[in-house]
Parts: sequence; structure tokens; C-alpha cells
Amino acid sequence: MTSSSSPLPAPSPRARLTFGRLSRGDVLPTVDLTITPDDVRAYLAATGEPAERWSERVPPIMLSALMLAVLLAQVEIPKGVLHTGHEHEARRPVQIGEPLAVSISVSSHSVRRGALMATFDAEARSGDDVVAISRASVLVPPDGDAAGDATGGGTGDANGDANGSAE
Amino acid sequence: MTAPTVEPVTRLIDQVRVDRYAVAARDPNPIHRETPEAYSGPFGRPVAHGMLVLALVSEAMTNAFGEAWERGGSLKVRWRQPALVPVEVTARATLRSQSADMATYDVSCEDANGEALLTGTASVRLA
Repeated sequence: MTSSSSPLPAPSPRARLTFGRLSRGDVLPTVDLTITPDDVRAYLAATGEPAERWSERVPPIMLSALMLAVLLAQVEIPKGVLHTGHEHEARRPVQIGEPLAVSISVSSHSVRRGALMATFDAEARSGDDVVAISRASVLVPPDGDAAGDATGGGTGDANGDANGSAE
Repeated sequence: MTAPTVEPVTRLIDQVRVDRYAVAARDPNPIHRETPEAYSGPFGRPVAHGMLVLALVSEAMTNAFGEAWERGGSLKVRWRQPALVPVEVTARATLRSQSADMATYDVSCEDANGEALLTGTASVRLA
């Protein structure tokens, strides 16, 4: 996937994996990601962060958000999912235009009291160099659609942030 | 290096900002936009992206640390309640501990009423 400014993305037709069928240890296909100047400008216009300091490099948390977008593009995240927690570590600055490869794995996947909980680990590499790692924790409430209803929440909301106060 | 004070960052997150973020972050989830799904969903109206709220923490850390935040900065947070749009969010970071090579801050985002939207920690390697 090469980034470019674009209209609101539709759920990817390639998103065939469903949340409920994932298992701990699953590894999603690695996706190429190159963040353009237009991408950064659009991101900063949205967040409101001053743009001057990001003329050459990518804001670390923007990279984390786009690593989540890689997940959203590959997995039908169900309606009602809550993004309950997030971790991110920036290993080094990332240059705008630097080709990256993002890989995602399922580090936990379990059901407790009817609620499905999962953790996705994402890693961004530049060549052999790991530049950032992220971990997203999500929860599907008992009345959610863990089978992954593509007609419900689009690709759903692992980024999402229904801002769960779960836990 | 002495760990610096991190100044708060306050910003209004309104629907225009959320709509722009949905495009920029490639998150098509209708719960964030003025859609039937948002109004019939669990919160009764659109909610801001959690990562948009979290971006204010990263901005505050960048303000304090500059490139050091990009070279070994880390975050670990949990969202505590939905950020119902529009919402004025303030991101804060308070020094928790400091060693020779690492500073750790308690971080939070609050709404205008002081209700926590997000809590966690941020760590930065000190040069």
C-alpha cells in the first residue's frame, strides 16, 4: 500500500479475515507503507498539531495510526468493538517518503464472560531496521458481532475507539 | 539531562476535525461521523477517534522533547470513556520518575469537566 491523500476510505475489498476467526499467533500479510508529504499535511490539518516541525519526518503517533489502518484494511473488525488500550514505541525518526513494511500478528485472542478480547502487535520496518512497534488492545462486548459483520461497522473499529472504558 | 516539564496541550475536537482525521488515518468507521450508525450506537452520537485524542499527548511530548520523542519515546495508555464530539480535550504529562537515561510521565487526556478520557504513561530516553 502506497499512501496518498484520498477520500474517506471504503472498507477494503481485500478485507476477508474476520475477527472471530483469528487466533493467537496468526500473522497477517506484510503491507508496504510509504507516507507522503500530502499524507502528513492531511494528518496535521486533522489533529491541529503545528505543521512546521514535520516537514521532513513523520509524527510518531501518525505512524501508529497508519499501522492500525493496515489492520483495518485486512480484517473485518466487528461492529461494537472497543479500542481499549494502545502502546507505541518509536525506535527512530521516520522520514517522509521512506518505504516501510508493516507486519501485524495476533498476540492474544480470548473470550471472557462472553466478551472477545484481542491484542494485535504491529511492527514497522525499514529494510531490516525496526522503526516502530505498536500494540492495540480491543474488546468486543457480548452483544457485539465477533463474527465480523461487514455490513455493520464497515471495517469496524479497531482504531476505534468507541473509546472503550472497558476494564 | 533533567527531564523537562511537559506543558499541557488543549484543543477542541469537533466534527470537522474528526471527519478530517477519518480520512487522514484511513479509518472508515461510521461511529465517528454523523451517520445513522453513530446516532443509533452505544453512545448516541459520534465519538472522536481514540487515536485522535492520543495525538494530543504525542504533541505535548514532542513540544517538550523534540526529536528525542521520535528516538525512543513510548506510550502505554487505556481509554477510559468516549470522547463525545464536540469535546475540548487537554493532554497532560506529569513526571513520575527519572533515572540516568529514562524519564517516565503519567499522561492523561481530560475533557473540559476534568473527566479522564485516557490515562497511561509515556517514557522517553534521555540523551
